[in-house]
Amino acid sequence: MSNQKKRNFQIEAFKHRVVVDPKYADKTWQILERAIHQIYNQDASGLSFEELYRNAYNMVLHKFGDKLYTGFIATMTAHLKDKSKLIEAAQGGSFLEELNKKWNEHNKALEMIRDILMYMDRTYIESTKKPHVHPMGLSLWRDNVVHSPKIHSRLLNTLLDLVHKERTGEVIDRGLVRNVTKMFMDLGESVYQDDFEKPFLDASSEFYKVESQEFIESCDCGDYLKKAEKRLTEEIDRVGHYLDAKSEDKITSVVEKEMIANHMQRLVLMENSGLVTMLLNDKYEDLGRMYNLFRRVTNGLATVRDVMTSHLREMGKQLVTDPEKSKDPVEFVQRLLDERDKYDKITSTAFGNDKTFQNASNSSFEYFINLNARSPEFISLFVDDKLRKGLKGIADADVEVVLDKVMMLFRYLQEKDVFEKYYKQHLAKRLLSGKTVSDDAEKSLIVKLKTECGYQFTSKLEGMFTDMKTSEDTMRGFYGSHPELSEGPTLIVQVLTTGSWPTQPAVPCNLPAEVSVLCEKFRSYYLGTHTGRRLSWQTNMGTADIKAIFGKGQKHELNVSTFQMCVLMLFNNSDRLSYKEIEQATEIPAPDLKRCLQSLACVKGKNVIKKEPMSKDIGEEDLFCVNDKFTSKFYKVKIGTVVAQKETEPEKQETRQRVEEDRKPQIEAAIVRIMKSRKILDHNNIIAEVTKQLQPRFLANPTEIKKRIESLIERDFLERDNTDRKLYRYLA
Amino acid sequence: MIEDYFLGKNKKKKKSSHLLSVQNLEFILLTSMGNSKDRIKFNVGGRIFETTSTTLANAGHDSFFGALFDDDWNLSPPKEDLFIDRNPDCFAVLLDLLRTGDLNVPANIPERLLHREASFYGLLHHVRTAKWGPFDGNRLRLSDSVKGIAPGDGTAVRAGPDGGCCVAHGSVVHVFDWMLEEHCPINLDYQRVNDVGWIDSDNIVLSACEKLGRGDGGMGLFSSSTGDLRYKFQVCHENQVKSYTAGALSFNQDYKIFSSCKGRSNEYGVGVWDQITGKQTDFFYESPGWSLGDADKLQWLNGMNCLLVATLFPRKDNCYISLLDFRDKNMVWSWSDIGSPMAIDEKRVRDAIAMEDSNSICVVNEFEDLGFIDLRMYGGSVRWSSRSRLMKSKMPDEPCYPKLALHEGQLFSSMNDSISVFCGPDWVLTSRLRRSYGGSICDFSIGGDRLFALHSEENVFDVWETPPSPII
Repeated sequence: MSNQKKRNFQIEAFKHRVVVDPKYADKTWQILERAIHQIYNQDASGLSFEELYRNAYNMVLHKFGDKLYTGFIATMTAHLKDKSKLIEAAQGGSFLEELNKKWNEHNKALEMIRDILMYMDRTYIESTKKPHVHPMGLSLWRDNVVHSPKIHSRLLNTLLDLVHKERTGEVIDRGLVRNVTKMFMDLGESVYQDDFEKPFLDASSEFYKVESQEFIESCDCGDYLKKAEKRLTEEIDRVGHYLDAKSEDKITSVVEKEMIANHMQRLVLMENSGLVTMLLNDKYEDLGRMYNLFRRVTNGLATVRDVMTSHLREMGKQLVTDPEKSKDPVEFVQRLLDERDKYDKITSTAFGNDKTFQNASNSSFEYFINLNARSPEFISLFVDDKLRKGLKGIADADVEVVLDKVMMLFRYLQEKDVFEKYYKQHLAKRLLSGKTVSDDAEKSLIVKLKTECGYQFTSKLEGMFTDMKTSEDTMRGFYGSHPELSEGPTLIVQVLTTGSWPTQPAVPCNLPAEVSVLCEKFRSYYLGTHTGRRLSWQTNMGTADIKAIFGKGQKHELNVSTFQMCVLMLFNNSDRLSYKEIEQATEIPAPDLKRCLQSLACVKGKNVIKKEPMSKDIGEEDLFCVNDKFTSKFYKVKIGTVVAQKETEPEKQETRQRVEEDRKPQIEAAIVRIMKSRKILDHNNIIAEVTKQLQPRFLANPTEIKKRIESLIERDFLERDNTDRKLYRYLA
Repeated sequence: MIEDYFLGKNKKKKKSSHLLSVQNLEFILLTSMGNSKDRIKFNVGGRIFETTSTTLANAGHDSFFGALFDDDWNLSPPKEDLFIDRNPDCFAVLLDLLRTGDLNVPANIPERLLHREASFYGLLHHVRTAKWGPFDGNRLRLSDSVKGIAPGDGTAVRAGPDGGCCVAHGSVVHVFDWMLEEHCPINLDYQRVNDVGWIDSDNIVLSACEKLGRGDGGMGLFSSSTGDLRYKFQVCHENQVKSYTAGALSFNQDYKIFSSCKGRSNEYGVGVWDQITGKQTDFFYESPGWSLGDADKLQWLNGMNCLLVATLFPRKDNCYISLLDFRDKNMVWSWSDIGSPMAIDEKRVRDAIAMEDSNSICVVNEFEDLGFIDLRMYGGSVRWSSRSRLMKSKMPDEPCYPKLALHEGQLFSSMNDSISVFCGPDWVLTSRLRRSYGGSICDFSIGGDRLFALHSEENVFDVWETPPSPII
């Protein structure tokens, strides 16, 4: 302590020698102080900058920097206290204006004071690490004016009041508010945040809490969203007009929280106007608004998505499980396509093609389409229908559109192999009966299936097309080598590769002699050109055109099946035949024969045969003769076979069984493939991997996989691990 | 018209003013060309000067002229001469500086007077930047020699970032600003100084020996302008504060300070402190059979993110050079001459410096032979360059071991009374700095575009700088 004093004393002595006038410092400071007063009183025109600068310089040079610094702070503080009183005195609306005016004056004065004190700013302040003149002037303003007790809350309330007024529709002086908020920003980020932004956000939160409550009680969902959207844009505008740009995120999140996040569930589930209603009534605009607003809050879109998904699943479930609807497969699939189109449109127009929404709607479709085990069949039937007749007169581009849509549905199917089975059957029928409308459309669909499921999936389908093509060539060759056959009945043979086509047990029957001769000729021709092949006749699938002359000379050409032809040809030789005789002569299996006779004798308008007794069903004791009185408006008469377009129950079982049977080798192949690469794997992992590998084709049944594993173990492809029975080991 | 050049003033204050770039200057000239209102008349200490506000705008906002032309002062148009009560001779020099960017001081004006005047106008920075040009080891000229009054030999000289330097003598460090004016000397409990370094233009770190049992010494942070001790760094071992001797220093851009440390018992190694908080953040303990705590040199390698630590002969019997990675406390590279055949040609490493660009460490022996060690190989040997200066015969009485420095692709090596400059990929000798008196150079340092060389005998240091660029 004594040391310190001593040193001080020495410095005093030193100063005295340099500065002649002991009151030099005081005098100089008085000049500067007077100048500061004049500057604040806006009376600076008479001041000499050079003189003031020099005086301030001299004070610092002569080590009175401290006196200058503290003096400047004290003088400025005193002025600001006066100013603060003047601002306090301002009444009502002029308060802000007064504050703003005084702030501008202070800024100008501060600028000039800093000019005078520049040397101090650069040397004394720099080396003592004190705050510089400009920031010091700002913090003095903050402490003496903005934070003075009579101004602080009044200023805040005035500002909040103005904002509230603007929110309720009044017009306010935005320029003034901007100047004041700008002042807060100039005073530093923390001042802006603590003294204005935070209370502003709190007040906004309160305001919107009340308002949103009011709205939700009185408005429906669509109107509420409109209002929320309007408020949000208003607040963003407000930030642009008179707040710091950094406040935008904060105020929007307040509005989002109060107006949307807090009422999310209620809005979405609002009765008669919520999301479900919007979806049902195609309110794209409202849906878009909901999406854009809910996107802003956490879990907002998830909420919308969940409600949409459950609605879609419920709706879809009703659609596919309604027994009424599944009566007509075409109608059924058309309904699915319509729903699909609708949700596509919703996601693209209202939900901005949001991937998560696309996925949600896709997974919902996948969910409910597979609820109905007959979906694969129906989709195939729909395609069948379209390709048989529906596509007439539609432009190629539109055909593509329809097919693409069908492919969308196909993608949802879990049991794609079932679809394949049905598709094969339907395609076979189309090809063999020549019913297909457009080869291009057929091929285009095959290409689509190929890109979707790979070469494997369509190779057989393509094989069917090749067979059709080669058969044409074969026939041309056959008739070319047998020119004598141009007379007499014409035989058209389609040679189908076994395996490519849906196999049906070949049902033999006795063909009429004229035909069987021809058949023999063809057989020898074909086997002559293709050695090592075996031909078997699928008489159950053929058709024949027969010219017939009835009792009164009516000539007709009858289009019948091969079985029907066999039956009708019998009547060339006798007028009356019993069921037993027909059965014996043709050797057609009883159920087929019954159906065949039924369609010849019992269908109104096409009854070319008379039956005794006249009844709907065919009995073993019935007698048949030619219906001489048969008439028809048409020359050509097509006699169908009584067979449903949809397959019969046992047929369905059979298809199902065939599908199951076909799956077995595929499952086994998958197991072996996996085990070959893994060598050792436990049960659960095998099941998981097999399921994954087969997913594009069908959903493998775990019990079936287990059975396949057992079978592979029996055949020494795999073995169980000796120590851990859950592990399987691949045997090379 | 004048106001226009200072419009930006109200918006933002910058602490330092800079000479406007040439382009800017041209722009301003163009806009004011042929405008007679642009002219300004000064009466400085009785002499009349006439100039333009364009010229004065070069002084920047943060100067006397910047403040003078602030819109708030009713100056424009000036009614009469503006009187300034200052030295007219110096004003003429400074006005020329603003006009041309060149500093030409007549012999009759003492430097100190000019600096004083420049300080009044806020033009010191302009003077400093005009005084010498960007550093180039091949264009250096001796600008000054400063004689000290210290009793003992010099330990170290360190260049500051803006042209100043500090010189360690025994237990005191003398601090000089860029005008080579000496400030208050600094000391840490008057303990022997081992190393010293600049954190920035205002902060110096000093490392010193400990005093037995007193807890003195260690490491301290000082203000370069006032010489005040601002902070004393501590070493903690197992949560106990230990007294220690701080050795070589290094700093990095992440505001860390590194120092080799020798404590009472276990605290041997390299300590790390935070420049902002002053707290010890890490300590790399030396492993048995290796030396870190005695290191002669620390060098932070920015690209490799690790610290080079070199302990050299004769401080230890052997040389140890290692690279430490503090992120996983790992010695990522090391080299030592333990076991290598020696004594035949006495090629012992006396200083080492890492050169990240060429992935090598350059070393030097007592005959100023340069050697290189490949950083990419572990356990490589020194590849000595064959250049020999044939001076084994005439060693001075008081030899100083060579020191190395690297600056923007130029390698510097001191030997006896001269400093050699090497350039290019093969480090060809391109220049030699030599001055006849003062004895051997015991240390040198490059920084703030200047080179300081400290001589051992006469207690004098030289300042080398690059002259400003030629007129054409």
